[in-house]
Amino acid sequence: MGKATVAANAQGRKRPLTVCLVGMPNAGKTTLMNALTDSSFYTANYPGVTVTLASGRSKPRYGSEELIIDLPGISSPASPSPEEELACKVLDGQDDTIRPDALIVVVDATQVERHLRLASYVARCGKPMVICLTMTDLLPRMKLTLDVQKLEHALGVPVVEVDARSGKGLAKLMQLVREAAQRQFAMQKLAQIPQDPVAAYDALSALLKSSGALSTLHPGIADEVTNKIDAIVLHRWFGLPIFFLILAVLFASIFWAAQPLMDIVDTAFTYTQAFLAELLPPGFLTELFSEGIIGGVGAVAVFFPQIMILLFLMTFLEDTGYLARGAVLVDRPLAFLGLHGRSLVPMLSGFACAIPAVLAARTIPTARERLLTIWVIPLMSCSARLPVYSLLIAALFTGRKSWIAGLVLSGIYFTSLLAAAFTAGLVSRLLAKRHRRSLSLLAMELPVYRMPQLRPILKLTWARSSSYLQKAALPIITVSAVLWLLSNYGYLQYRYIARTSLEQSFAASLGQLLEPMLEPMGADWRVGIGLISAFAAREAFVSSMALVFRVAEEDENTREKSLLECIRAARLESSGKPLFTTSTIIGLMCFFFFSLQCASTVAVVRHETSTRFALIQLAFYTSLGYIVAVLIVQGLRLTGFA
Amino acid sequence: MTLVDAVRSKWYRIAGVEASNDERRRLLELGLTPGTEVCVVQEVPFGDPLIVQVRGARLALRKREAEWVKLQ
Repeated sequence: MGKATVAANAQGRKRPLTVCLVGMPNAGKTTLMNALTDSSFYTANYPGVTVTLASGRSKPRYGSEELIIDLPGISSPASPSPEEELACKVLDGQDDTIRPDALIVVVDATQVERHLRLASYVARCGKPMVICLTMTDLLPRMKLTLDVQKLEHALGVPVVEVDARSGKGLAKLMQLVREAAQRQFAMQKLAQIPQDPVAAYDALSALLKSSGALSTLHPGIADEVTNKIDAIVLHRWFGLPIFFLILAVLFASIFWAAQPLMDIVDTAFTYTQAFLAELLPPGFLTELFSEGIIGGVGAVAVFFPQIMILLFLMTFLEDTGYLARGAVLVDRPLAFLGLHGRSLVPMLSGFACAIPAVLAARTIPTARERLLTIWVIPLMSCSARLPVYSLLIAALFTGRKSWIAGLVLSGIYFTSLLAAAFTAGLVSRLLAKRHRRSLSLLAMELPVYRMPQLRPILKLTWARSSSYLQKAALPIITVSAVLWLLSNYGYLQYRYIARTSLEQSFAASLGQLLEPMLEPMGADWRVGIGLISAFAAREAFVSSMALVFRVAEEDENTREKSLLECIRAARLESSGKPLFTTSTIIGLMCFFFFSLQCASTVAVVRHETSTRFALIQLAFYTSLGYIVAVLIVQGLRLTGFA
Repeated sequence: MTLVDAVRSKWYRIAGVEASNDERRRLLELGLTPGTEVCVVQEVPFGDPLIVQVRGARLALRKREAEWVKLQ
């Protein structure tokens, strides 16, 4: 920092300082971020890379407001992941967007050696820094004592002990940060620690030993609480049953707890639609907006409560420390399939919606396992398929007991998991022949168990779910507008484009164009319209079927009943035979099982990987769905099922 | 002997890490350097990965990774 800047700073600066939080994963950065900003920070995607950064203003009770940026956790500056690379670039001063005036290096007081090794890397970058000791409340649990003054003296860097939960030490931390930012940079002892890991640990051990800051360098077993919980949840025999129990509760809440909220969203959109149709002057744009766009967005927004509950529970489990244990429990079988323990969260999320699932795959350290996880996510039976399956199952088992439908549905969910496992195993083995085995390590840190704090979790849940909305909004609006145009307008006698009935619309022409392809799977152009509209969101299949068969009842229960009756009564136009036969319905279910019929998923996968990857995935699953459907339909017909 | 052969809840001293460069570096960075005390604290279903305690941290290492860690 130049002399002029120092002088300017001394005379009451106007510009707030940019302060970056640096540390290893699990060091407590996020908790500190929440404490400094009162959980009022913004999360934004860093341009160009798939890294989400949180930034916010520190609260006035900690002195003048500074800009705090939470950098991604760094575990290995030598071989960084894309997230770590961004953090390292900022530290090296090579980043043009983020230029920190000072750094807060977050150090877990129970693992001083490991965390100071990163601190020594940061010290070498030559930016003003303050070391912030977290997790100090755990020291008694581990029968450790730590002398802050002695540590500060040994390292040559300001050290402050904080308790982010109670706010203790935060004002002092910010004061030290401001002082550090104004001081000339001096070469500290910490920066002289060598960077080779063996030499670094040796030097740090020697430094800490001679300082006498720690009561012992080898704390032994982690705290008793963590030890006891791990003995139960990772137990040889009880570990997996407990894991499945937790998953069962998770899914129960996603499907049952979300239902009333989903009904509210559904009703809200229906009323908005009606309200807008009344309010706005009648015309093309009003109809496009209220019927096409609001209707289409509503169809997808219905799943928002479910996604929020899913993300809330996932964040909660993550904060307790259990999610890392879940990853450990399933790592063995997942590694066999070419996946990673960390593939657990994305794959589970895939049962609710593929979009948050694809985003969650970011945490998987190696590119190959990450891509393979994203590749199999569309197979997980997402909730948009649920209405489609319910309709088709109801049509298949006319008048039978409802438990059969439940059984079939559970079977579909389970099969989707098996299909994902099989696909992953197959693809990873095919690739293994062609590519050299890439570096794949679990080597994962298990954080200590902590009682999660509600406010930050709610905040993070909101940040993650709104990022889902942002990602999905544009493709959904575009596709629903286009589909609305296609299904309401057509080529009529003397006019190229005219408002028309569905039978004469562009969608119908498109469906008829596709009919030769649909015929082998026992479907006709009307089903084709359903399949085309399902590309906006799979459950749009149900509403477009209702449109095709002109079911115009307002009440939901009778609407479904009359839709079922219409479906049963539907005949093929050419031969007059029933359209929805057993084979056709099973074929359609197979098609929905495999096919990647979701514009938003394709868009998100494209953003997270590449256009090529997204298009290959789309082509692969859609043709796989088609081929399987045709094979099943023809096979069933050959064996005597109509 | 390697970390895989370690008796549960017993402390050992690491002799060295034998693996290819990147993998070795990664384990060393985690704190598994020669001379460090290490302990397998927990068995899990399937017997893989191992849960080990080192330098105050609790780590999950696949058996394949634990085999690279030689003990004194």
